[in-house]
Amino acid sequence: MSFLMDNLPMFLIAIPLLMAPVTILTKGSPGLQKAIDIVVGFGLLCLSVLLIITVWNNGIIAYDVGEFGKYGIVIVADLLSAGMVVLNCLIGFLGLIYSYDYIEDRSLNQTYHSLYNLMLAGINGIFLTGDIFNMFVFFEIMLLSSAALIVANETSKVTKISDKMEATMKYLVLNILGGNVMLIAVTSLYASIGSLNMADITLKIRILAEAGTVPWHLYAVGLLFIIVFGGKAAMFPLHYWLPDVHPTAPSPISAMLSGVIIKIGAYGILRVLFMIFAPFQAVYGPIILFMALVTLALGATSAVGQSDVKRMLAYSSVSQIGYVFLGFGMAAMANVAGETEGATIILAASVIYLINHALAKSMLFLTSGGIIHTADTRDMRQMGGMINKAPLMGAAFLVGAMSIGGVPPMGGFISKFMLFDAGLREQFYLPIGIALIFAVFTLFYMFRGWMLIFWGERDAQYGEYSHHKLSPLIVAPILFLAAIVLIVGLYPEPVVQFSQTIASQIVDPQPYIDAVMVRMIR
Amino acid sequence: MNNFFLELTIALLFGIGTFLVLRRDMMKVIIGFGIISHAINLYIVGGGVFSEGTLVPILEHEQALEGLNQGLIYNDNLTAGILGPITTNPYTEFVDPLVQALVLTAIVIGLATTAFVLTLCYRVNEEYGTIDVQELRRLRE
Repeated sequence: MSFLMDNLPMFLIAIPLLMAPVTILTKGSPGLQKAIDIVVGFGLLCLSVLLIITVWNNGIIAYDVGEFGKYGIVIVADLLSAGMVVLNCLIGFLGLIYSYDYIEDRSLNQTYHSLYNLMLAGINGIFLTGDIFNMFVFFEIMLLSSAALIVANETSKVTKISDKMEATMKYLVLNILGGNVMLIAVTSLYASIGSLNMADITLKIRILAEAGTVPWHLYAVGLLFIIVFGGKAAMFPLHYWLPDVHPTAPSPISAMLSGVIIKIGAYGILRVLFMIFAPFQAVYGPIILFMALVTLALGATSAVGQSDVKRMLAYSSVSQIGYVFLGFGMAAMANVAGETEGATIILAASVIYLINHALAKSMLFLTSGGIIHTADTRDMRQMGGMINKAPLMGAAFLVGAMSIGGVPPMGGFISKFMLFDAGLREQFYLPIGIALIFAVFTLFYMFRGWMLIFWGERDAQYGEYSHHKLSPLIVAPILFLAAIVLIVGLYPEPVVQFSQTIASQIVDPQPYIDAVMVRMIR
Repeated sequence: MNNFFLELTIALLFGIGTFLVLRRDMMKVIIGFGIISHAINLYIVGGGVFSEGTLVPILEHEQALEGLNQGLIYNDNLTAGILGPITTNPYTEFVDPLVQALVLTAIVIGLATTAFVLTLCYRVNEEYGTIDVQELRRLRE
């Protein structure tokens, strides 16, 4: 037990990395392969929950890979990382259960499970690593495996392979460029600061800022990081790839892409804006705020006219990530104005928003998979009256729509309310006003989608809905996530408290630095 | 002097790479990405060399912000089992080993990415018989 507890953060990366070759070796017997994968997925979920409990009780864990002291790579689990890892493992595990029947129906790709495990390992690595170059490496692991997963499943009935290839090409082009920009940024940072360890860099930049001798090019380096993470999170000028990529991927992968992978960008921005380049918040805060407003407006207005159900959800993701970044920008500006407490509250609201969106949007993407499975089309105008055919999908979609739209009993309401309330308290009247207007758009397109899919009758010219029933393994993860969204909405107290602790850790990164430095100097 | 030529090379490679990335032929785009990534590899190497003693391989934490040139320097000491690298003047001719590790990693990752994009490009060619981006757009409609 102590061996497990000592190496807990490492296991979360190493186990899925190890499972990638194992699942390829067992490809001869798909049943065994899937069984192994689901057991391992559940194990990962348990480990991540164990990690977050340990971090909550004992404080930040800094794990020294290979015992190299300050010359090695550290793996750090603070509450933010641990929370993101739990989200990743939860959605990843549910996606694995979902894939059990969903992918088999459409010609199981033999490498699917291997790539899925690589993706989980990459994402866990990104969240847990405390070394900025190591983060780049995990980015590339995540990127290649997720790109291969998007283009997988060639014989899908509803998505043409040509669409998949075009989307993957866009995804790759943006992310190769993003990777190159990140390399430039990391190198420039290393050449001017002389360290790759995030805690160490934070400390040195803070000392430089207090002495008033920050080299001017560090501002540009920080902007490069914001461009990279903004591209990952689909922030305004770099959002164009998302509406193509998310709809064409198989539904469990869409859920991972929208639920977790775009949150990587948000995680990176949090680290850059509030930790590494914290002294530059006066410059970066307004930029992020402006970009967030454009993003949320653009995503919401584009989602209104969509007829493709998954494309609508993808545009909605763009809009929702805009709300999350709105919180980041406001918190940074409040922090600059010296209102640390206000910044913490806004940031807590933003973190709740992020968690709620991850849960609700991955649930909606899984639901859309069930809907498409029944209707054999992605076009909402060709659906209608599905509530008789798939009532559980209807209920789940309604829960998700209400949560994303911010209707009271759901988790989305708490997050929206807290974000707007905290923003108004810090007197950001104009940004909150704009965000409120587009929140109405969100409600509109979500309920338009629900009505198009589930109300009325299906037009006779499109034929009957397919008669095969949805497998319980497809329905169960959706219902489970819907239940979580409902519980978070009805009893938000633990999530709110948890987010406030995360926010206070982000605003004051001193414990993080201390935990890493103790490991390094040893 | 060395710095100038290194900068010129990096800038030229960046220019050529960008030119190729903006072409219509997908193959040229991929080659362009390769050239850009090599420009960046050179940039990384440039981050650790030719800096005339202002950057040393390993910085002690307290020393990092003052002097910037008081890292550990290894000299040969066979009795103690220390084998220093071959250099006539460790204070000016020492290359940062970390950037070389970074470049190696970046090259390997670049290889993997290029292999994947090439495979995808091959599939596109199989599907459409062309890899011209505008031609593809015309064919898709």
